[in-house]
Amino acid sequence: MTERTHISREDLDLFAMQVLDPQERVPIEAHLRQCSECRAALARARGDLAFLTMSVEETALPSGARDRFAARIAQSPGSPEPQNPAVELTPVRRRSGVWVWMPWAAVAALLIVATGLEIKVQNLTREFARQAETIRTRAGSDARARRVLDLLTAGDAQHVLLTSANAHPVPSARAVYLASRGALILQATNLSRVPESKTYELWIIPANGKPPVPAGLFRPDASGNANLVLPPLPTGVQAKAFGITVERSGGSATPTLPIVLSGTASGE
Amino acid sequence: MTAIFDRYAGMAYSVAFRVLKDQAQTEDVVQDLFFWLWQNPDSFAPDRGSLGAWLAVVVRNRAIDVLRKHRPCDSVEEVVLPASTNVANDVEMRSIVERVRRVLRELPLEQRHSVEMAFFEGLTHSEIAEQTGDPLGTVKTRIRSALMSVRKALQG
Repeated sequence: MTERTHISREDLDLFAMQVLDPQERVPIEAHLRQCSECRAALARARGDLAFLTMSVEETALPSGARDRFAARIAQSPGSPEPQNPAVELTPVRRRSGVWVWMPWAAVAALLIVATGLEIKVQNLTREFARQAETIRTRAGSDARARRVLDLLTAGDAQHVLLTSANAHPVPSARAVYLASRGALILQATNLSRVPESKTYELWIIPANGKPPVPAGLFRPDASGNANLVLPPLPTGVQAKAFGITVERSGGSATPTLPIVLSGTASGE
Repeated sequence: MTAIFDRYAGMAYSVAFRVLKDQAQTEDVVQDLFFWLWQNPDSFAPDRGSLGAWLAVVVRNRAIDVLRKHRPCDSVEEVVLPASTNVANDVEMRSIVERVRRVLRELPLEQRHSVEMAFFEGLTHSEIAEQTGDPLGTVKTRIRSALMSVRKALQG
C-alpha cells in the first residue's frame, strides 16, 4: 500500500471500528502515517461512527459516580480544592495552551458583545428620543387642532357677527371648504327657527355642472347659530357655489326650493 | 470539569456499558477517561470535532480495549473527528441519534448482528465469521452495508 493507492473506505471503516486483525492493522497504520488524505477519510469514518456510538440506549449513571469522580480529582496532586469535591475543579499545573487562554478569550468575547450591545443601546436611545420629539410635536399640533374644533363646535360659544351699527341682523353663513380633502366647516348665524319636522341642509353646487351634492344637515340653536364641522363628503368635488335649503328632518337627495342662503365660491 | 462530567458522563457510561455490560468495569473506564481528560485538557481541541462525539468514540474504543484485555489500539490523541460532528445543539444531536437508532432497528437481522458484534462486542471480522459460520467477505459486506445505511441516515 503506497501513498498513491489509498486505503479503501471499507477498510478504513473496519480500521476505525477496530475490527481488523492485528496483522491487517499494521500496513494501514503505516500508510496513515504518511497519507493526510486517508487520515482525513479516517476522521470522517470516525465521525459517522460517533453517531452510531451515541445511538446506544441510555443507561443511568450509577449513583455516587459524580461524587467519586469529584473526589478523585480533589485527591489528585495539583488539585486546587481537594477538600471540596463538589465544587468546579480545574487542574492548576497542567493548564496550558488553549485552556490557559480560554478564560481571556471568553472575557474578550464578552467585551466585544458588551461593546456591541452598548452601541445598540445608544442607537436605540437616540431613536427613542427622536420618536419622542416627533410625538411631542404631533401632540402639540393635535392639541391645537382639538382646541379649534372644540371652539367651533361648543354649544356655549358666543357667536358674534360684527356689522355696521345701523344694520339689522340678517341670516348669514360662512363656509370654509377644501375640495381636495372633502373637508368643510360652516358657521351660520341669525337663522330662523324651523319646525321639528324640518332641518337646514347645505348643498355644494359643483363647478362641473353636475347635480348639487348634499353637504350636511343642521339646526340652529335658540340664538339662531349653527355649526357644521367636517360632514362626510366626497373628495375632489370642486365647488362653484354653496346653497342652504330647508328640508324634511331626514334630509333630501335634491334641494327643495327656495334656497334660503347661497354664496358663490371664491375663484369662480 | 465537573460540568463536563455532568453533561457527558451519562452518554459515555451508556456507550461503555453497552460494550462491557459490567457496572464496575464501565464506571472505571468512564472515570479514567474523564480523569485523563482533566489531566490532559490540551488533548481535546475544537478541530477534533464535537467533544461529545469525540468522547463517544474514545470511550467506546477504551471499553473495547478493556474487553479484549489488551493495550489500547488507538491512543486518545490520535482520535480526530471531522467538524461535521459539531452539530448546532442538543436538539439536533438527539434528532440525528434518533435517525441512526431507527435505521439500526430497520436493518436486516444479519447486518444488525454483524454491526453489533463488531462495534459493541469487540469481535474482529474474522472472529465474527468464525462465530457465525459466514464467509469473511460476507461479514465485511454486511458491516459495510449497515454503515452505508447509517451514513444515509446522517445525510438525511
